[in-house]
Amino acid sequence: MPEGKQIFEQYYDVLLRIAHDHNYAMGISRSVNAYRERKTRALEKFPHTVKLAEEVRQLKEDCIGRLDELVQKATVSLKENGAQIYHAESAGDALEIIGEIVGSGKLVLSGKTLTGEEIGLRQHLQSLGNEFWETDAGELIQQLREEKPMHYLSPCLHVHREQVAELLTNLLGREISPDAEVEVRAIREFLRSKYFEADVGISGCNVLAADTGSVILLESECNIRLLTSVAPVHIVLVGIDKVVPTLHDAFKVAEVAWRYGGFVMPLYISSVSGPSATGDIEYTMVQGASGPLQLHVVFLDNGRSALAQAPVLKEALYCLKCGGCLLECPIFQLAAGYYGGRGYFGGVGAILVAYMSGGFSEAAPIAYTCLRCGRCTEFCPQSIDLSKLIAELRHQIVES
Amino acid sequence: MVVIKNTRPYIPPVLRVISNNTAQWGNPLGLKKADCASWANGLQLSHKGSTILHTGCEYQMTAYLRSLAEVLKKAKFEDTLFRAYSRFQTVGGKLGMGLTEIYKKVAGRETEHYNQLLRMAAITLRKLGIDFAYLDSELYSGALLYEYGLFEEFERQAKRVVNQFKEAGAKRIIALTPHSAEIFHQVYPKFISNFHFEVIPYVSIVAVALKKLDTKLSLAEPLNVTLHDPCHLARSLQVTEEPREVLSIITNLELKEVATNRELTNCCGAPGEVIFPELSELIAAKRIEELSATGAEAVVTLCPFCYSNLSKSADLAGKRIKIVDLIEIVYQALEASHA
Repeated sequence: MPEGKQIFEQYYDVLLRIAHDHNYAMGISRSVNAYRERKTRALEKFPHTVKLAEEVRQLKEDCIGRLDELVQKATVSLKENGAQIYHAESAGDALEIIGEIVGSGKLVLSGKTLTGEEIGLRQHLQSLGNEFWETDAGELIQQLREEKPMHYLSPCLHVHREQVAELLTNLLGREISPDAEVEVRAIREFLRSKYFEADVGISGCNVLAADTGSVILLESECNIRLLTSVAPVHIVLVGIDKVVPTLHDAFKVAEVAWRYGGFVMPLYISSVSGPSATGDIEYTMVQGASGPLQLHVVFLDNGRSALAQAPVLKEALYCLKCGGCLLECPIFQLAAGYYGGRGYFGGVGAILVAYMSGGFSEAAPIAYTCLRCGRCTEFCPQSIDLSKLIAELRHQIVES
Repeated sequence: MVVIKNTRPYIPPVLRVISNNTAQWGNPLGLKKADCASWANGLQLSHKGSTILHTGCEYQMTAYLRSLAEVLKKAKFEDTLFRAYSRFQTVGGKLGMGLTEIYKKVAGRETEHYNQLLRMAAITLRKLGIDFAYLDSELYSGALLYEYGLFEEFERQAKRVVNQFKEAGAKRIIALTPHSAEIFHQVYPKFISNFHFEVIPYVSIVAVALKKLDTKLSLAEPLNVTLHDPCHLARSLQVTEEPREVLSIITNLELKEVATNRELTNCCGAPGEVIFPELSELIAAKRIEELSATGAEAVVTLCPFCYSNLSKSADLAGKRIKIVDLIEIVYQALEASHA
C-alpha cells in the first residue's frame, strides 16, 4: 500500500508532466474557449437560469440535510414501480451487489457514470470476466487510452482529433482520418450493434426524484437512452446525494446543471422510474414489455452521509458536477483531470475524494494544490465557497 | 479494489516550519525584529495610536521568497532537507540549507527594494494627512497558518496580534497587504470574540484621501499600465474600484485593462510557491502572458506576493514588461506633482 508521501510525490510528478505536455495544453485550451462561448450562449438564451441556480442552492441545502428521509421515499416509490433496490454502505458493497446482478461472461455497456469511476466499476466487472464498453464517446476514448477521465462532462477534453483517429484506426483495423465527423461515425459503427447484443446496461443518475422514483439522465449522444432501453437488465448506480423531493425539483436541478455545463438543452433527457411494463391486457400490469425486464437501483453512500454531517464541508455535496469551475481554474487549465482523484476533480473534488473515493491521503495533495484564489466561486451556480472549504479540509487533514 | 482510505496523509513539512517560525519569531520565515522593522528607521513613526499601519512583515519576507523557492525545488519532498532549513535561525545544518544560506543568497539591494516600498507607503500616508502608528515589534497576521489548515496555531497567533493592537490603543488597522486585510476582515472575527477593529486596505484609505485632495497628479514620464487585481482583494473583499480610482487621478497614466480583471482576475501563482514551486511558476507564466498581451509597459500590483511571483516570471520569460507596486506609482506621482 503506497504511503502518503509516495502518493503526494507521484501526484505532483504527473501533474507537472501533464502541465508541460503540449498535447494537453492544446486540447484544454480549445475546450476552454469552446466551453466559454457555449455557456455564454446558453445563459443569454435562458437568462432565468441564474435565478433558478439560487433556488437550486436552497434546494440542495435542504436535501443534503435530510438524505435518509429522501432515500427512504425514493426507495418506496421505485419499489412501487417494480424496481429492485439496494443500499450500499461502501464502494466494496456496491461492487459486490452489481457483480452479483451481472455475473460473468456478459456484455455490459455503461453510460457516463462518475459514481462508477468512484468505485472502480469497470475494472471490477472486467475482472469478473465480462466484456465492458463505455458508450459515451469521450469515455470510450478514455477507456481505449486506459486513463482516467478528465472532466465531468467532457472526459477526454485533452485529446485532440489526431490522437482520436489513431485510437480508432487501431480499434477498427482500418484507416480513420483525423476528422471529427469521420471519428464520430466510426464510434457509432463500433457501438451500434453492441446495444442490441448487450446483456446489461449500466447508467449513473443526474438527479433522482423521490416522489415518483424517477431517475433523470441527461445526454446528447443517445447512448444512455439506448443502453437503458435495449438491454434486458438496467442497473442504476446512484449516490444518495442525488435525491431531491419531487420530479419538479429534479428538473430544476437538471436545468441548472446542463446550462452551466454549457448546454442550451441536452438533446436527450430520459426519465426511468421502473422496468418496462404494460397494462394493456385487462388493465393488469405485466413487467417486461419491449424494454428492460429488470431495473436495479443501487443507492451508494460511501462516505456521503458522513460528509453531509460535516458542518463546513457538506457544501461540497451541493456541487452539480457541471464542471464549469474546472475550465475556469488556473490549475485545471494546466493539468486537467490530473488535478483531482478518483472520479472527482479540482478543489471541490478534493473534498469528495477525501470522503468518498480516496481518503485523506489521496485528498491531501489535491487540497494543497488549490490556490484558494476563489475564481471558481465566481462561476459556480451553487456559489460554493471553495476557499473556506479547502482551509477546513486541510485542517481536517493535518488533524487526522 | 484499490481504494486507499487508511494510509496516513502526507503533510508537507514546510507547514511545520512556517508554524514553528511564526510561534517563535512572529513570522513564517523567522525574520528577526530588526529585519522587519529596519525600514522605518529615521521616519520617527509613533508606536501607539488609534490607527495602526500593519505591514505584517510581508513585504519584508518577500525578498527571501525567490531563494526559498529554489531551495524547495531542490528539496522536493525530502524530509531531511526540510528539517535542515527548519532550523532557520541556526547555522544551515549538515546540508547547508538553513535560512542563513538563504539570507546569504539574497542581495542587500533586494531587501532594500522592499524596505523602500514600505517607506514610500508610510510617506504617502503622511502626505495625505493620515495619522498612523507602526508597531516595530509587529507580528505576521497568521494568514498562511489559516490557509494551510493549522487552525490552532493560527488562533494562537491571532490572539497575540490582537493583544498587540489593544496594547497600542488601536481602533483602526490599515492593512498594507491583501492577505492581512482579508484575514483580519473575514477570518479573525470567527476565531476571536469581540474583534471590533475597523480594517481598511491600504489602497482604500489612499483612494479616499486622494479623492478628498481633489487634485490631479502626474508622473515624471507618461506610463501605460495594466492592473493585476489580487484575488484576496478583488474577490474576497470586493475591492476592485479603489485601485482604478487611484490610477485615474494620475493624468499621464493610461490603464489598459486585461480581459480577466476585477473579480474575474487570474491568480499569480504565489499561493503554491512553497509547496509546488514549479507549478507556481507555470501559473505565473500564464498570467504574465495575459498581462503582456494588453501591450502595457508595466503591470501594477497591490500585493507583495503577486509582485514577487510576477516579477520572477517576467524575468524568467525575458519579458520587457515591468512589475510595479501601486505604492510606488502613488508615491512617484505625489513626488512629481509636488503634492
